Amino acid sequence: MPFTDQEILETVRMFELETFDIRTTTLGINLLDCADPDLESSAEKVYAKIVHHGRNLVAVADSIEADFGVPIINKRVATTPIALVAAASGSEDLVPFARAMDAAAAEIGIDYIGGFTAYVHKGFTRADEALLNSIPAAMAETQRVCSSVSLATTKAGINMDAVAKFSEAVLKTAHLTASEGALGCAKLVCFSNPVEDNPFIAGAHIGIGEGETVLNVGVSGPGVVRSALKRLGEEESLLAVAETIKRTAFKITRMGELVGREAARRLGTVFGIVDVSLAPTPAVGDSVADILELIGVEVTGAPGTTAALALLTDAVKKGGAMASSSVGGLSGAFIPVSEDQGMIDAVACGALSLAKLEAMTTVCSVGLDMVAVPGDTSAAVISGIIADEMAIGMVNQKTTAVRLIPVPGKGPGETHDWGGLLGTAIVQDPGKFGCDVLWRRGGRIPAPLQSYRN
Amino acid sequence: MTKRFLTADDVKRLGGSEIQVESGTIVTPQAAEVAAAAGIRLIGASGPYVPPIPDRGPDAARAQDVLPEPISTDGIGLVVTVVGRNRAGVLAEVTSALAQAECDVRDISQRTVGAHFHMVLTCAVGPGREFSSIKDALQCLGGEGDYVVRVMHEKVFRFMHRV
Repeated sequence: MPFTDQEILETVRMFELETFDIRTTTLGINLLDCADPDLESSAEKVYAKIVHHGRNLVAVADSIEADFGVPIINKRVATTPIALVAAASGSEDLVPFARAMDAAAAEIGIDYIGGFTAYVHKGFTRADEALLNSIPAAMAETQRVCSSVSLATTKAGINMDAVAKFSEAVLKTAHLTASEGALGCAKLVCFSNPVEDNPFIAGAHIGIGEGETVLNVGVSGPGVVRSALKRLGEEESLLAVAETIKRTAFKITRMGELVGREAARRLGTVFGIVDVSLAPTPAVGDSVADILELIGVEVTGAPGTTAALALLTDAVKKGGAMASSSVGGLSGAFIPVSEDQGMIDAVACGALSLAKLEAMTTVCSVGLDMVAVPGDTSAAVISGIIADEMAIGMVNQKTTAVRLIPVPGKGPGETHDWGGLLGTAIVQDPGKFGCDVLWRRGGRIPAPLQSYRN
Repeated sequence: MTKRFLTADDVKRLGGSEIQVESGTIVTPQAAEVAAAAGIRLIGASGPYVPPIPDRGPDAARAQDVLPEPISTDGIGLVVTVVGRNRAGVLAEVTSALAQAECDVRDISQRTVGAHFHMVLTCAVGPGREFSSIKDALQCLGGEGDYVVRVMHEKVFRFMHRV
């Protein structure tokens, strides 16, 4: 059956007017075979393997863009957690691995590579500890390497010693990259219940259950959902809103499926998953906050925001699940504060506080993302913010993440502009009260009752 | 099992005048450099070493799997949309470019709104024709203040609008 004009024009409008794109094609590369007792040799293998498998990634993405007319914004690589690869070397300084990853990313022409990662939700191996200690120098010295650390899972509880160590790493990274507004912290994220096929930077890495290589796709599309809701108008019921979002998410995800299959075929690897997250950018109209406001809250952060976000996330997942058999990653709605113009405006007018953001993270797909805090925030307070977010993930059996940026020399309400995709942040006020005793106690918060499912 | 990598360290340790590299082994750039500096030749299965083709290891066959696709749309290869200022000869320009590219127009619709028009053509592509060259040829037409041509692969529409 041929296509109708309406179908054709709807698709063309998505690409031309509604900033629809494929946000990322991320090639996962397993590096476990790069382990070596000699640190230099191991880093050498890491470089060689990333370049070996990733060499065609950009060309393939470009060819798909040309053939299908679908813009593919980012091409990225995710690797096995480096702490696992580095363990055999016994080295305490793992920055050479970050350098090797950075050089490999430069060689294959990509802007970010994820996988400077450790899983420490229950305890530290020597290599895990070495990796956490190496994070600040690695983030400061390299441009493209992103780091993520798993601090909690529903099955294991929260490793509060790791939370404390990670908080110190965040502060040290901010200090070392102070001249760039703590840019290093934008490449550093911690997780509760991390997913092993996340294509989105900064948390991208591939888990140990994956094969040699895998191609994952992250779609975008807040602009498309926003336009669909705009056309729906304010008179329709919330059921109609959910239905509209679901239908739109279906169409967006189908594009992800097409690009994922094609990219995997052209790269000679397998297609892993489509992550159907709505990922905003600072571009006008490409905003999750705008969608929440179209659903019916006056400003993002006003009462009703969490409910609207819950509806949005769920409808996106339902549409996505119908469109692809392989929905994975984080899949939902991202709320990276500095990267979403609507969120920036909401913070600027005093509607969106850190507390409300935390409430929103209980129903969104990730967590406190790209949230700026004052540069002089103590490690204890940062630990507290992270622990709260980890607890939300742990108890609700969902992925939550924290990407905090303590902006040096800036206090609450002040603005910092990183430019590009990272956008502009208004420094949030974490309040004047601390949690020093909780922080000093250390140890582990045991796994919740929800984990006993066998 | 094949050795996965040949590192600079391996080259120094092995020495000699040549090193036999198994097929499937990746020689790191540093190893190649050390070997070149020391005059050591790296030999593959047949002649000088050539880097292996990236594969997926034991489950490489899975990369060949073809998943079911939405039902075919009768040989349509591409969808052309044209939007711009109306004038005589627009349709002729677009269709003659399509004819030159051996594209068979299967469906066409055009509307004018005031001084402007929009046009949608669905076409079948001749056998052996490359999509990208047709696209380039068509998108050269028109221009600023005149009209804009957009060419998209029919798969985009098939995936989005058919189950």
